[in-house]
Amino acid sequence: MSTPGPTPPGPPQVRSLNCPGCGASLTVRSFGNAVTIICESCHSVLDAQDPKLKILQQFHAATSEDPPLIPLGSRGTIRGALYEVIGFQRRTIQVEGISYSWHEYVLFNPTKGFRYLTEYDGHWNDISVLRALPDVSAGETALTYLGETYRRFQTADAATAFVLGEFPWQVRVGEVVSFSDYISPPRVISSEGTGKEISWSIGEYLAGRDVWKAFKLPGEPPTPIGIFENQPSPLSASVKSVWSLAGLFFVLLLSLAVGVYWLESDEQIFEQTFEFNTSAGGEASFVTEMFQLKGRTSDVEVTTSAAVDNDWLYVNYALINQDTGHAYDFGREISYYHGSDSDGSWSEGGTTNTVTVPSIPPGNYYLRVEPESDPNRGLIRYVVTVKRDVPQASFFGLAILALFIPAGLITWRSMTFEHLRWAESDYGSPADGSLVSTVGTIVDSFTSGEDE
Amino acid sequence: MTRIFFFVYGLIVLAVVSFAEYRGWSLNRVNEVINVPRSVRDNPGSYRSVYSSYHHYTGGK
Repeated sequence: MSTPGPTPPGPPQVRSLNCPGCGASLTVRSFGNAVTIICESCHSVLDAQDPKLKILQQFHAATSEDPPLIPLGSRGTIRGALYEVIGFQRRTIQVEGISYSWHEYVLFNPTKGFRYLTEYDGHWNDISVLRALPDVSAGETALTYLGETYRRFQTADAATAFVLGEFPWQVRVGEVVSFSDYISPPRVISSEGTGKEISWSIGEYLAGRDVWKAFKLPGEPPTPIGIFENQPSPLSASVKSVWSLAGLFFVLLLSLAVGVYWLESDEQIFEQTFEFNTSAGGEASFVTEMFQLKGRTSDVEVTTSAAVDNDWLYVNYALINQDTGHAYDFGREISYYHGSDSDGSWSEGGTTNTVTVPSIPPGNYYLRVEPESDPNRGLIRYVVTVKRDVPQASFFGLAILALFIPAGLITWRSMTFEHLRWAESDYGSPADGSLVSTVGTIVDSFTSGEDE
Repeated sequence: MTRIFFFVYGLIVLAVVSFAEYRGWSLNRVNEVINVPRSVRDNPGSYRSVYSSYHHYTGGK
């Protein structure tokens, strides 16, 4: 973007002139700062520095073909200063045979000088001229400005396709300049020039609604389409804090686990060895001695250990409250098989099975036990152990998943956003495609976000 | 906003785990039967478990 130096201070001045081409009235808002003026009627590009307004160029276009979203003469407050829209241009690039156009608005303040707004597919940027040269890396793949690294996003030749109003440089329709954009969302630094002279500018992403609010424009701004090169990711800034919180809650969860394992009694209430003769026939079920569950409502863990070897034992249990007649019915199989085949040795199952019965109130209980097995098995010896108030590790495992899965999803969405951003770049992702470098890119993005 | 949401969400996760451990919740499910007669203690065979004759024979590999 070609721009002059600082503007001399002075009150806003508006001068009326007439176009030497068509005689139409011209309004000059930046007065002595304008280098070229475009007649809205005949589209003559006039030399504002010439007292006779020499015609520099004429182009054919209908003003209505591309009306500015912010009308010329509109005034709005940007970064605390009142600016007036004095110029408007459309610029176009060709990429693989497809034209992409964006709009640039020239803003003027008598004391602050010029700044610019750009708009592409509903994405806005507030642009100002760089006062110091950035440090461009070898190969021009990145640059550093005020300690912040910007990565090259695209390089193209942009042609001016349409102009209106006043410009602080010698604008021409059809003029082509080469530009490069380097991004560090939400900022972008652009170089622009013809080779001999390069100007640098810095932009910051603006929400359309902020532009509408600044200029008090009616209606709603255009809805942004896609992801723009320096559009800040809505999630990148959250990724680090969410992972920090996930880590904090993980530590708290570990502390809670230590506390639970320390405080819960894990009290053994009952243990007895039984024998089941499968060939005896008759009624196999029996009841145990009564045992008392004291304290608060808690879980009850029933463990069955059976001497099975390539065999099985199935036990129906009913934990029955003698006082209330409330029973908790469950069954457990203990089976253990092993052997060897062409794949080598194998085994499956085990000789112990544990079930945790949830939320058992205190009271006097007994177990009704009904074992089953292969009728030809013979005698099986098994041990039944009952404990109460046993810590459940499974809840801590689920809690860890519950904490880290959302954090992972937020990270994944952030990565997807960056992937979509860099899919539009001429240079692809700055990451080499590996997960580590991709995560590094995101870390960079939210680190730079924190600096704001 | 995301941070606040995740902070509240993390507190809820911790609270649920604490409550689950305190109340003795379990991921195992059992069948609850009410009003089991006291006579079961004298005649265990009169009780009909929903898991009776539920053979799980696997037979190994």
